[in-house]
Amino acid sequence: MGNPVHGFWLRLLGRDQGPPKPSRTPFRLRGRVPFASAVQAEATIFLILRLMRAPLIVLITIFAISVLGLTLIEGRDAAGAPSRMTFFDAFYFMSYTASTIGFGELPNPFTASQRLWVTVSIYLTVVGWAYAIGSLLALLQDRAFRQALALQHFTRKVARLREPFLLIAGYGRTGELLGRSFDALGRRVVVLDVEPGRIDALELEAYHSDVPGLVADARDPGHLGIAGLGNPRCEAVLALTNDDEANLAVTMTAALLRPELPVIARTISPAIEDRMRAFGSPTVVNPFDRFGDHLRIAMRSPASYQLMTWLESGPGAELPERGRPPRHGRWVMCGYGRFGREITEDLRAEGLDVTVVEPAPKDPGSSTLPGQGFEPDVMERAGVADAVGFVAGTDNDTSNLSLIAAARRVNPTLFVAARQNRPASAPLFEVMDVDSLLVPADVVAHEVFAQLSTPLLWRFLQQVPHQGDDWAAALITRLTHHCGRHMQELWKARLNRVEAPALTGWLASGEATVGDLLRDPDDRDQRLPIEVLMVLRGDEPTMAPDDDFTLAPDDELLLHGKVPARRALGSTMIVEATREYVRTGRHLPTGWLWRKLARVPRY
Amino acid sequence: MNLEKVVFGFFVLLAATLNFGFFIGDISNPELHNIYELFAAVVVSLIATVLKFGDRTQLGAVHLATSLVADLQLVAAALAWTYAQHISDAGVTAGSTASVVSLSGGALVANMVSVVLLVIETVSFHRR
Repeated sequence: MGNPVHGFWLRLLGRDQGPPKPSRTPFRLRGRVPFASAVQAEATIFLILRLMRAPLIVLITIFAISVLGLTLIEGRDAAGAPSRMTFFDAFYFMSYTASTIGFGELPNPFTASQRLWVTVSIYLTVVGWAYAIGSLLALLQDRAFRQALALQHFTRKVARLREPFLLIAGYGRTGELLGRSFDALGRRVVVLDVEPGRIDALELEAYHSDVPGLVADARDPGHLGIAGLGNPRCEAVLALTNDDEANLAVTMTAALLRPELPVIARTISPAIEDRMRAFGSPTVVNPFDRFGDHLRIAMRSPASYQLMTWLESGPGAELPERGRPPRHGRWVMCGYGRFGREITEDLRAEGLDVTVVEPAPKDPGSSTLPGQGFEPDVMERAGVADAVGFVAGTDNDTSNLSLIAAARRVNPTLFVAARQNRPASAPLFEVMDVDSLLVPADVVAHEVFAQLSTPLLWRFLQQVPHQGDDWAAALITRLTHHCGRHMQELWKARLNRVEAPALTGWLASGEATVGDLLRDPDDRDQRLPIEVLMVLRGDEPTMAPDDDFTLAPDDELLLHGKVPARRALGSTMIVEATREYVRTGRHLPTGWLWRKLARVPRY
Repeated sequence: MNLEKVVFGFFVLLAATLNFGFFIGDISNPELHNIYELFAAVVVSLIATVLKFGDRTQLGAVHLATSLVADLQLVAAALAWTYAQHISDAGVTAGSTASVVSLSGGALVANMVSVVLLVIETVSFHRR
């Protein structure tokens, strides 16, 4: 019963063979994942075949009449005696005549009566060919037909996926960033989007692996079904469309049909967030909310914030600047929409005074000033001159840029936070050198990446804010000391018998420290440039343990370092001879015979 | 009355009857097998095949399969005849006629299956 299509046929044919055995089911499928759209695609192809009937029959009939006529009409052979063309000759003649190739009169020159018939047949057959070929080309150009073909192609590709994959609904800026990051990690991705342009863009992206993409509305459970929701290898569903309703629909579908599957959904509306949480336990990412949280973390502990953004950005990211949002003083908030509300709440929760400027205030409170914000008198009334922070948070990039410019002119020392709505505005915001910039797509992408790339990383990031600023600053110094200002590989190592067979005995002895484990297998006096970010023992995390930390069997390590160092550590974990050198400095014979002779104690 | 069904039944039956007409008679005597009848059988069989395109039912699929088999056999018979008349030095002999007719006999079986399917379809339609 592992195959959903099998289940589909069982249901269709009504052959109920008793309750399915749950023990053999590799994943739990609560309902049948619908494949309606796939059947629809097949129907379209049958329809096309049906439409080809008339042209083909016309063609066959015309051919038959012409050939028959030629064989019936009397001609003359080379010697001038009366003779008739055979079917073979007639068919051969009509074939090259009808397709306008025209080899001439074969096998003998025609008589006048034959020529009369051929004249008629030429007109008939040329029309017949033109009709048939024209219809065929028109059908191939047909949108429905092409869509049906694309759908079948996509269905086949997804069904043939033999590796775990992520299902991304909505391939906008966020989907693109995530697709690229996961592809770099060697993970497979399947993409759905309503915009044909975005799916076409998939082809232009330089992905390492093939990314199946389909132009389809993710709100339709059938589309999610063919995109692999029912596939046991689907690892997680990401609802990243611009439309909150669509994201809700995806979350619902996934939660109802595959309850055990992790779902990550993007939304900017708290109401939708609540509705999403009603279905199972999806991870809901609200970029505005997260930005507010980040701003608060940045205020309390700039280094923690710096560390978190760096690690979330994925491999290759440069260490971001450490911003220092002012912790005391008054802030001016321009634009009191969803974003403005979230940030204002967060700032006020930090005990800061916030003046709100909004062109159309819905609740004219004492602190809300009516106005765009960039008019000089509004600037003056809002008190930008003596404020410490300024947030340009409208949903219009042009307004936000002019707000920043106007505010900086009044008060050049302001801490400026801004919201960038369109990816195209990125260069402008970069030139403006904003202290803290929200790009919703990036926030969501980083968050999802942190959650799905390495589960330990997410755990680590959750702990970072509680560790304090000095701790984070020290860790950043350690990381940059070993690996430079660009983020290297982040990976997880589990010290069990499978992943680290060579370490079993050493770990059990209770003498294995982080410092010893990270000695270089080429020269044990050197330490590998690897930083242990976290050790998870059972459910107990130890953050950034120092070199004296003693490791135990089954510890999970979150590590950061360059690829060669990762390989070196891998050989220490797997090869006993390497482990022995790293541990004691002795060179262990690798062969069985020499090992017997050397009487190496077994670990 | 469904005109589509009439046309369909007409061609399926005509393909079978023409095929039968060509097939009947001493298998090795060329005079008993009219080549025009073979030509007509090929053409009608092709038309019947095209008429079966795009039917999504199980019965439709079997219909199409039988027609394709009949086409294959009849085209092979036509090719065998062409070879005998135009290419081989011996011309149309008793042996070559036998091979042409036996090939068409194979097609006849397929056409008969088509007719049986047609009858089944009709009968089951009445029952509903």
